Amino acid sequence: MSIQDALFPRGKIAGVYPTLTTRGDEAYVEFIEDARNVLMHAQQRPIGEYSQQLMTDAGIADSPDPETTQAAIDLLMQDPTLKTYYRVKRSLQEAFWSGLSKSLNQRRDEIVAAFDAAEAAGPGTVEYDDNWRENAPEYASREIHIQPGGYVKDELAGPFYDYGLKVFLGGAADHDRLAKGVSMATAVPDDGQVSRILDLGVSAGATTIALKEKYPDAEVWGIDISAPMVRYAHVRAMEAGAEIHLRQMAAEELDFPDNHFDAVLAMLLFHELPVPVAKEAIAEVFRVLRPGGKFTVLDFPSVRSRGVYSMFFAEMDAADNGEPYLPDYVRSNVEDLLVEAGFELEHYDPKAALTRGRVVVKPAA
Amino acid sequence: MAKLKEADLAYTNDLPGAERGNPSYFENEVIDHLLGIVLELGAQFWVLRDRQAFLEEQLAAKGVVSLEDLEHGTPSDELQAKLKAERLAMIQQVYGRLYSTYGGDKAGPTSAPMS
Repeated sequence: MSIQDALFPRGKIAGVYPTLTTRGDEAYVEFIEDARNVLMHAQQRPIGEYSQQLMTDAGIADSPDPETTQAAIDLLMQDPTLKTYYRVKRSLQEAFWSGLSKSLNQRRDEIVAAFDAAEAAGPGTVEYDDNWRENAPEYASREIHIQPGGYVKDELAGPFYDYGLKVFLGGAADHDRLAKGVSMATAVPDDGQVSRILDLGVSAGATTIALKEKYPDAEVWGIDISAPMVRYAHVRAMEAGAEIHLRQMAAEELDFPDNHFDAVLAMLLFHELPVPVAKEAIAEVFRVLRPGGKFTVLDFPSVRSRGVYSMFFAEMDAADNGEPYLPDYVRSNVEDLLVEAGFELEHYDPKAALTRGRVVVKPAA
Repeated sequence: MAKLKEADLAYTNDLPGAERGNPSYFENEVIDHLLGIVLELGAQFWVLRDRQAFLEEQLAAKGVVSLEDLEHGTPSDELQAKLKAERLAMIQQVYGRLYSTYGGDKAGPTSAPMS
């Protein structure tokens, strides 16, 4: 069966996403996406102000340290409206995955067969470990965002993740707009030489494709610890006509030579890594970047720019939304880890952490 | 480079969120179930409303409609835009009151902030 028939039998959704199996499946997920827009995203500011007031009234200091954050959790999760908010958030998440997996599972065999058939086709290449499921490290096997099967053990992890991003961002990633913005934000060396780019933790490959489109003459590589992700990203790249090279590889064990890349990107990767893994990944990026090369890290802001409510929110997301490494990531101040590894910090604005990121440069030898 | 050992990461097994779990937010978990049920009913209602609107569009255009069209077709862009506006208004009207304590029932829909 062709990729078109397997993945897009009813055309593409929002320009890039796999079609759900029936119109009814789609209507169900559209309801979830808009319920999140009204009952989650639109509430973020007013419910934050409400929570802040409750904490002020209770005399909780605006400090993000673990003890104060726990006091905030103990206080705020006694409030009926906040209990409702977090219940609704969790229920919508569970309903989304249930609806999506029920729909795509009806075509599971066809989709997997299409991935298999696509492997030898180009443009671009894909390689992964044949024993990918058995060899997946435990730390990477969590059900992030409570995605069924997580990122590394389900053959359909790629399309699940891709559609999840669409719904979680309320349409902001549609037509790969987000990925195109990320490619614009990816810093390159001051000398303008961009021969090789590496994208770490590519997931569905949207940013890797956008990088190739922005730098068509560069060799663009993308790695992910998940074999299902790179397999799906390869199909995505074929659809886009983008010649990118995808490998199943851990960021903390890069199989590339020293001083090999001009620019490296990590989009929303570091908050999915335990801090010891993050440190090794940073050391590896330092090794494979050439002097003058730049590393762009787009991810959530660090603890030094957060108050207690922001840390409360991160702790709640960790526990309820399958983000076990998020609080430690926030507290690690990743820009400090980058500097400790030898990089020079060129840019970091916490208010633009997800749009401009931390940009560091490998100093000249 | 020193490779991490499994024991170095054993602590991650105990982190909140490492396991999917089945959290309860209320002392009485029946309330948790009821909120999940009313959201599911809203979603199922919406599936029927979407199908009805799509059926009406097909009938108005062609005078006849097949089951295949209803199951695997897609409403026109015009109808999809109309349905989205209707869906957002319905969600706000039905569920917004859950947040009336702080005025959240009046908050308009928005996508996720990227900052």
